[in-house]
Amino acid sequence: MSEILDYPRPHEDEDNRPFLEAWREGRLMLQQSRSGGPPFFYPRPICPYTGSTDLVWKEASGRGRIVSFSIVMRPNHPSFNDEVPIILAEIALEEGASLLARVITSDASAVTSGTAVELMPRPEAARYPLPTFRLAA
Amino acid sequence: MKTSSIGITGYGQTAYEKRTTRTLFSFLSEAGKNALDSAGLTFKDVDGLAICSFELHPDNAVTAAEQLGLSVSWAYLGTAGSAGPVASVINAVHAIETGQATTVLCIAGDNYDVGGHFKLMDNFNRGLRNYGTPLGFGGANGLFGIIQRKHMETYGTRREDLGRISVDQRRSAQRNDHALLRGPLTIEDYLNARIIADPIRLFDCVLPCAGAEAVVVTTLDRAQPGKGVRILSGFERHNHPPMEIAPLRGGWETFADKLFAKAGYGPEDMDFVQAYDDYPIMVAIQLEDLGFCKKGEVSEFLARNTFAWDGTLPLNTGGGQLSCGQAGIAGGLLSVTEAVRQLRGEGGDRQVANARRGVVAGYGMVGYGHGLSASSIILEAVQ
Repeated sequence: MSEILDYPRPHEDEDNRPFLEAWREGRLMLQQSRSGGPPFFYPRPICPYTGSTDLVWKEASGRGRIVSFSIVMRPNHPSFNDEVPIILAEIALEEGASLLARVITSDASAVTSGTAVELMPRPEAARYPLPTFRLAA
Repeated sequence: MKTSSIGITGYGQTAYEKRTTRTLFSFLSEAGKNALDSAGLTFKDVDGLAICSFELHPDNAVTAAEQLGLSVSWAYLGTAGSAGPVASVINAVHAIETGQATTVLCIAGDNYDVGGHFKLMDNFNRGLRNYGTPLGFGGANGLFGIIQRKHMETYGTRREDLGRISVDQRRSAQRNDHALLRGPLTIEDYLNARIIADPIRLFDCVLPCAGAEAVVVTTLDRAQPGKGVRILSGFERHNHPPMEIAPLRGGWETFADKLFAKAGYGPEDMDFVQAYDDYPIMVAIQLEDLGFCKKGEVSEFLARNTFAWDGTLPLNTGGGQLSCGQAGIAGGLLSVTEAVRQLRGEGGDRQVANARRGVVAGYGMVGYGHGLSASSIILEAVQ
């Protein structure tokens, strides 16, 4: 289990704590201006669309589609070396926000742009420091 | 604006090294001295200093002046990654126009290696450190793989066309003793190379190394006869387009029209292009955004042109970062020094015939997904 400790981890602060705490419970949270506007990721203290600092957290369904992806053979950190290939995907969530995330699959060749993905359930994803996806059932 | 009286009067560089025991300041000061020598000036003539370096912390532009023994009235620290060096030239022009300085030394350099590059990217900014690094994102390679795949799937862009950039630049590099990579490179080598972050393969990537580049920006009346290069126009743009992780365009599209209009020329008048070649796909996107071809048609444009020093569109005529190596932020000034070399007719056996003017583009500061900063200048030989 040393791998869990070895992953580089996000620096937790007041801006991202609700997001990171939610992911530790298996949920994906996005931010949005209370007065409306698109939900956004990554966490920050101001809405990049409206300039509002009056923000609310909103739970995402966890469903989305792969927009594009890389199949990383040379990770940035040695803690990932045993896990290549790593699927690094741009994922458009059905709520409208996009994020970078890993897609976990035993068959990298099954991954294509446009493929539906879903948030990996917490018991299987507990080791990953950020929301992680799998191909939709 | 052909009446601009400000230009680049000297350029210099250091040797590039894959690994080094030399200090960062040894590279920065050597490049600076070489640029001043090339301008016929000395450090005593410098009253403005611009520094771009990833590895400079805990130093800055002012402590760099201390290291160099300079008292300056204008100091600039690049913050736009490898778009910073071209931006520093633009800002040096403004400083001279407004009387804040008369002679600006712009230096860019770093002394890292492959491991140092990954470490840098892991902590590049809060967005990447918190939401990219913990994914095993593979550094810049993983991010630009996403962009390249999207460009290929959206526009039908072909790897065999992108590869022409790497292959033709290598032909130029074979005439540049300064380039770290000078071995022969064929399109088959490019297509079949080791996968790094599919679709990115080995010859889409640069070799991180150590080195520095520098130029002197001042009024052209200080130039030695025949050695002045006029800066016709220059613009920069940051965080464009906002809130997109992997856009197929960059800040160049926001200023290309005025960049060329102010210079009084169009893309077709450029005798060469020195683009920012961290990856061939980003060179392709620069060619589109700067108007050398329409968006989405770059594959065909690449297929019908040749890009070595003697090609139909000479591109990164010293071999670019893809063959010279990427000495950190120096990669964003390598393009400028090569442009000045060509416009002074000092290109040796890679000299572009009748090189009168060219465009130089910078790119950098990878944020959460892509390079946030773009910069460009158009340069012309003083007749």
